[in-house]
Amino acid sequence: MMTVESERDGPANDQEPGRGGAPEVVRIEHLSRVFGHGSGAVTALDDVSFSIRRGEIFGLLGPNGAGKSTLIRILTTLLAPTSGTARVGGFDLSREPERIRSVIGVCPQASTLDLELSAWDNLAFYGHLVGYPEKGLNDRIRELLASAGLEDRARSRVSTFSGGMRRRLEIVRAFIHRPQVIFLDEPTIGLDPEARHEVWEQIERLNAEETTVVLTTHYMDEAEHLCDRIAFIDGGRLIALDSVRNLRGLVPSGDVIEVGVEEVPEEMLERLRAHPRVEAVERRDRTLAIRAADGARLVPALLQVLDEAGLRVVSLSIRSPSLEDLFIYLTGKGLGARTGPPARGAKTGRRP
Amino acid sequence: MIRGTVAIFSRDFKKFLSNPFVLLMTLIMPIAYLVVFGNAMGGAITGVPIGLVQEDPYLEETPLFLALSEALAHRAEPGRAETFQVRVFTSEASARRALARGELAAVVVVPSEVSNTHAVRLYLDSSEFATPALVEGGVRGLLVVPGTRAPLEVYRLYGEVNYFQFFGVGVIVMAIFMSTMMGGVLSLIRDWELGIIEGYLVTPVKRSSIVLGTVGSGTIKGFLSGAVIYTVVLGITGLPVPGPGTTLVVLLVLFMISAGLTSLVFFIAGRLKNQQSFAAVNGFLNLLLFMTSGAFYPTLGMPDWLRAFTVVNPEYYAVHALRALILRGQGLEAIAVDLTAIGLFACACIVLGITTFRRTLE
Repeated sequence: MMTVESERDGPANDQEPGRGGAPEVVRIEHLSRVFGHGSGAVTALDDVSFSIRRGEIFGLLGPNGAGKSTLIRILTTLLAPTSGTARVGGFDLSREPERIRSVIGVCPQASTLDLELSAWDNLAFYGHLVGYPEKGLNDRIRELLASAGLEDRARSRVSTFSGGMRRRLEIVRAFIHRPQVIFLDEPTIGLDPEARHEVWEQIERLNAEETTVVLTTHYMDEAEHLCDRIAFIDGGRLIALDSVRNLRGLVPSGDVIEVGVEEVPEEMLERLRAHPRVEAVERRDRTLAIRAADGARLVPALLQVLDEAGLRVVSLSIRSPSLEDLFIYLTGKGLGARTGPPARGAKTGRRP
Repeated sequence: MIRGTVAIFSRDFKKFLSNPFVLLMTLIMPIAYLVVFGNAMGGAITGVPIGLVQEDPYLEETPLFLALSEALAHRAEPGRAETFQVRVFTSEASARRALARGELAAVVVVPSEVSNTHAVRLYLDSSEFATPALVEGGVRGLLVVPGTRAPLEVYRLYGEVNYFQFFGVGVIVMAIFMSTMMGGVLSLIRDWELGIIEGYLVTPVKRSSIVLGTVGSGTIKGFLSGAVIYTVVLGITGLPVPGPGTTLVVLLVLFMISAGLTSLVFFIAGRLKNQQSFAAVNGFLNLLLFMTSGAFYPTLGMPDWLRAFTVVNPEYYAVHALRALILRGQGLEAIAVDLTAIGLFACACIVLGITTFRRTLE
């Protein structure tokens, strides 16, 4: 396992003074969760340990079914772990769940807004539940609606809202009591690009108010854009954890040349791999991902090889390795969704 | 067309099979109807408590008194238990007090002198259904046997109460139960089903707040629907409108029954996670509670095992209290036991509801 445990004075924190020594707001120790019994048992989380620092935006990244939501549900007191412990905001998960609930904000993956109520009523309901001071509540709701860009829809039923509006409302709702930590489970799933960017901006604004943000996502670009540090989760296990910059450093250097082709015969792969300057070749659907140092200068030679084999090239791009390349490098498989939102395959089902 | 039909059919059928609880309930319901409904309705009424007393001044027991006490105590339909359970009183006043308290269904007053002009008087609790006619028929028949010519004078304590009025009072209780099925607890089940609950289980809101808030809103909904049906029942059955004092007590009873029934439904069905199961459980509860409440038919007509259930049935106390207030015009003292029972019941259900409510998923 290539876990890089929180290196407090590592290079990742050089450019972020003050965060290097930030205290932990979440500490997870050997957390496991098994659903079901006997032969039907499914291990959703398998001995996961790590810490989240105060003030950071922390990403839990992994494919669908990796165990991200289970981890969030355990940390937000909805599920009990099968074994292991965790502290959130300094409180023990099994002994002081009530204390934890008062210092966290949660935006679950499936919408939990009451569609029959107005935006205002939804926020007021939560304001009362979290014990927000009665006196300032109305001002707080106005402030949150403005921050979600919904002030003119305050009295409309949420059922009339678009997906992006609902998401923004749900995120500010989780933030109503200015929690220490806010958990966002797939905050941009199913949103169009514009709505995603609005949600991203919103998350960054909220983070600027000294709230630690823990978000899960299976979109690489989202994690790269937002997160200070990222934990890769796959099959219920922690695969890697570090700052985005350090994680990138784990991938062998060089560029990724992506060649779109109509078909890829097996022998073609062999021939490419045999090329002296090619470091690795992977096939992803109808795309060849070729890793090499100084990719731009290799392209003419590559095209020649492909041309000789009679393969038609339909597209070509050269880029620096992304987190997805890293994920593939670490686990040997893709995330299923490179950049969101995908038209299909979005996770909508809820597990218990 | 065929493929679509088969697809729709098999999807629905799969869902049906995948919820064994609802499957079981759909099978149990008709059987429960047969057993509960069949036994609760139209059974032979036995063991009717009646008082027997000889008119003052009490000199000595007349032959008629002795004969009647013997005959009443042993009267029975073929193959059944004794129809009456005779309590002998030594003073007419105390016998009639017991009747007014609802301990007796009737009092037979035998004259101290037997003759054509000295009538046997029969005081009937006319707020019940079937038993007054049964008692009257029984006494009339037995008077012929000893060969006396004493006439029978019948006094109906609460006037002529027809079945419509008798049943109407029970329907008020049913209205309250119905609204507990629709409101209060159901909205919590819907929150589970829609996953909305996951949103507020992560807030610091207390488990007791969730239970009390849900039961509270259900209680108010039940109370309102009970009050509406009460007004409607008064209107269409032609019952006299009680005075403001009695009306207030009726409203108090309606409120307490609403609280009792809503908390019972919460305790039993509040942990269910889907509306189908909730509806199945409620249908069953409604059958059991309403049929054994005495709303339809006197509980004396039920077999012992079913009648034993009435002791823990809040609707039994509710129906009894409402009849006392509405049909018999009695006051608080007549329903003190009912109110205590319903109150204890509601408290127990709320406490159980709070302690058994799980604040986590699973």
